[in-house]
Amino acid sequence: MDYVILSMTLLAVGIYGLVTKRNLLKVLISIEIIAAAASMNFVAFASMVGGSLGQAFLILALSVDTTLTAIIIALVVVAYRDLGTIDIWALSRLREVRAARRRGKRR
Amino acid sequence: MISYEIVFTVALVVSTFLAVHLEESVHAVASFGFMIILLSGLYFSLGAPFAAVFQLAIGVGTLAVFFLAGEMLASKKEPTQRLRGKLLGVLAAVILSLPSIALSVTPNVQINSKGVPFSEALWGLRGLDVAAQGFVILVISMGVAIILKRRRS
Repeated sequence: MDYVILSMTLLAVGIYGLVTKRNLLKVLISIEIIAAAASMNFVAFASMVGGSLGQAFLILALSVDTTLTAIIIALVVVAYRDLGTIDIWALSRLREVRAARRRGKRR
Repeated sequence: MISYEIVFTVALVVSTFLAVHLEESVHAVASFGFMIILLSGLYFSLGAPFAAVFQLAIGVGTLAVFFLAGEMLASKKEPTQRLRGKLLGVLAAVILSLPSIALSVTPNVQINSKGVPFSEALWGLRGLDVAAQGFVILVISMGVAIILKRRRS
């Protein structure tokens, strides 16, 4: 059993989701997976060395991760309220359409 | 004999992969929940009970938010995925989990140090970080509330 390779596997799965999925919720889950893969190393290496400093660092990392999730969820909800979709491609297209409309109004 | 760590590892990779692979948002979030529980169990087996409990507590909160967001934001015409696609995903995940079971890149280092106890590590060594992080979390939660309130008005 090697926890470093396990962590790399989880990282690869997270990057796969981040690159291929268009749903914002899936992208958020992928970010969570990447964060879990990174923070797993704290515990894995701390168990090798001995001591509890790795656990303390993991707790700090998880808190940061959770605040990040809160911010992204808020942005997702705002995007859904404004534009009615959570598809990343549709969101970028809608943004372009809005910018074009604004330019048209100015003229 | 198959050790429980190997079973945990395979299940962890499968649930992680399914959390990304499944098309239905609620199923993906449920799979993500399994991943959190298995990760917590793995931490416990590594001798980090505080990290395991903290991961579980944080994960449950995150899952609740994800479930609500998944139900609220999922489109009515979510594409249905065939059973064959799901099974292929499970198979791919099992194959992905094999390197972590069979290979080893970590050097076998034996360090005979008892280290510091958890309370000393958290409050003695990183106490200032914990306090600062509490402040940061408070500011961020206020910021999120302001974003949502402003948009609603």
